[in-house]
Amino acid sequence: MAAAAAAVLVAACGGGGSTVVDTGTAQAGGWTWTLPAGFPVPKVPDDNPMSAAKVELGRHLFYDQRLSGNGTQACAGCHRQSRAFTDGRAVAVGSTGEAHPRNAQHLSNAAYHATITWANPSLVTLERQAETPLFGEQPVEMGVNDGNRDAVLQRLRDDPAYPARFAAAYPGEPSPIHWTNVIKALAAFQRTLISGNSLYDRWLQGRATLTPAQERGKNLFFGERAECFHCHGSFNFNDQIVHAASRIVETPFHNTGLYNIDGKGGFPEPNRGVFELTARAADMGMFRAPSLRNVEVTAPYFHDGTATTLEEVVRIYAAGGRHITSGPFAGDGRASPLKSDLITLIQLDGQEQADLVEFLKTLTDHEFLSDPRHADPFAAR
Amino acid sequence: MNHPKTLRLAAIAAACATLLAACGGGGDDGPKTVALEFAAVAGSTPVKCGTEVTSLGSGNVNAQVKDFRFYVSNVQMLKADGSKVALTLPANDDWNYTKDGQAITLVDLEDGTGSCSGGTAATNAVIRGTVPAGDYVGFEATMGVPFALNHTDTTSAPKPMDIAAMAWSWQAGRKFAKIEVTDPQGATGTWLSKTFNVHLGSTGCTGNPASGQTVSCTAANRMAFRLGSFDPAVQKVAVDLRALLASNDITVNQAGATGCMSGGTDPECLGVFSALAIDWKADGTGTGQPVNGGQSQTLFRAVAK
Repeated sequence: MAAAAAAVLVAACGGGGSTVVDTGTAQAGGWTWTLPAGFPVPKVPDDNPMSAAKVELGRHLFYDQRLSGNGTQACAGCHRQSRAFTDGRAVAVGSTGEAHPRNAQHLSNAAYHATITWANPSLVTLERQAETPLFGEQPVEMGVNDGNRDAVLQRLRDDPAYPARFAAAYPGEPSPIHWTNVIKALAAFQRTLISGNSLYDRWLQGRATLTPAQERGKNLFFGERAECFHCHGSFNFNDQIVHAASRIVETPFHNTGLYNIDGKGGFPEPNRGVFELTARAADMGMFRAPSLRNVEVTAPYFHDGTATTLEEVVRIYAAGGRHITSGPFAGDGRASPLKSDLITLIQLDGQEQADLVEFLKTLTDHEFLSDPRHADPFAAR
Repeated sequence: MNHPKTLRLAAIAAACATLLAACGGGGDDGPKTVALEFAAVAGSTPVKCGTEVTSLGSGNVNAQVKDFRFYVSNVQMLKADGSKVALTLPANDDWNYTKDGQAITLVDLEDGTGSCSGGTAATNAVIRGTVPAGDYVGFEATMGVPFALNHTDTTSAPKPMDIAAMAWSWQAGRKFAKIEVTDPQGATGTWLSKTFNVHLGSTGCTGNPASGQTVSCTAANRMAFRLGSFDPAVQKVAVDLRALLASNDITVNQAGATGCMSGGTDPECLGVFSALAIDWKADGTGTGQPVNGGQSQTLFRAVAK
């Protein structure tokens, strides 16, 4: 049954190894999306239409350290293109040196996330999300506050290039350099970070072949036994998707048995997932399934960066959860009463685990990791 | 020649009589200005930035105030017969905002000096507005931002919802109150947790990805308070830090965020929410609604000016 569903899914994606699907384009106002096959048109807020000038402004702002309060850190400080816009750290570190409780997420296909960040049902647009790293106090990330926010904008006003970039991005506005427009440009740039040209995508389009190990891993991934696809089954390899034609959007969160510190399924503070916001017992340890696009380069893994390698991640899920035998967070996540029923002991031998990892590595989009349209505009100076 | 004029005057007099009657007036004319003054205190002692506050929390320790701001919305003046009349705020300005029947004022009792260096120099201790002429015996109000205004984005929101420090970005809303105290000896002091924060705000908020809007919150956490006998001419509203912190040891953080940031299971919130008379339960099932209309709250009380 599930195998049949997977076959249908693959066929629906235009794949099957026999059909070449040309890269599609889709119009959105004055902006033309260039989208990989099978990718829907991203949802764009009515009050922040896309434009080439706005995206280019956003790219500059994204890479500009002057956007932080103390001028030391850009968005790109924690979101590096070579790592699919994460940073390689277990947890992110802000402009004042303060550690964030969570792992910086990669930004591949962030335009399609129904909720943003690891576990927050209240953040549903990239615009609103941006307020947290810019202005947040617990922890401090970019460190913009009431005392310096005008001074930060003044840095942009005093720059030789930004006034013209803002004017081009927001035509008709007499004074376009303000925080709302900064945030809109950052969001517009992030919506262009679309990744869909991995080996797997090319295989779907009949333009590449998979090795036997990759093929076996793919069959496990989409099969009944490993069941990875239940949470990572969309074109974006996750299960929270919003796009331009979405009407009803599901926003599932999952407890995958990573912790069980109290025998009742407890996760350690301050990383208890949706529970941190709702205090509902059922929300303990509930996190959004991250997109597995480019997962090869986004280590370390999980919301708190506590798994170093893909092999370790696969081993944990093969065991049906994580058993921590010592230390303050000791506990058997496999036995968590709050664990998703999709996470069970799946009896994968060493070869099968290795095959799954081989398949996951086919999701790396090397073009995306070096695409000059997403790159640091200041690097060449 | 005089006849039409006489008629006109009579008509005006009749209209005035109707107006006065409708407003319940007993001879006063025109609307009446009301000024509700707030004052930060610890017990009966005034509290200000940079001056040590004595005897706070269950351990009766000294502290420095670090922040002291909160939003008050929808003030209703009370009459002796129990009826209520909404206070009309002045035109929108740095501190006041009215839209679609929702009226909100930021009360800012910190001045950015000393230990309040993260704050602002400007202060606002008074909610000033107008009501129709009449006799009023007290008022009631909400500490919080109405839902319709709460989940707007901070950078484009009108004043006073544009304060970055009052943003509650993790729930896409506002801090309704930001009241913080810190170890008076700073880094060399003995507090195990250097700051005790009281951040009140809605929790469990959910957005709709298809619309981009916040649609609901499981715990609203807006505080209702009522000073049934209050004469603004001779009284002011004491905002009592000692009462707010009374049942917590403010030098330690048992669990959750430092102090109480409205977390549904954060142990420090038990005492804080009790002082605010908002329903809160240790197992996270608190409703975030006022308990009995906020009757048992201890944060606000009337004192002589």
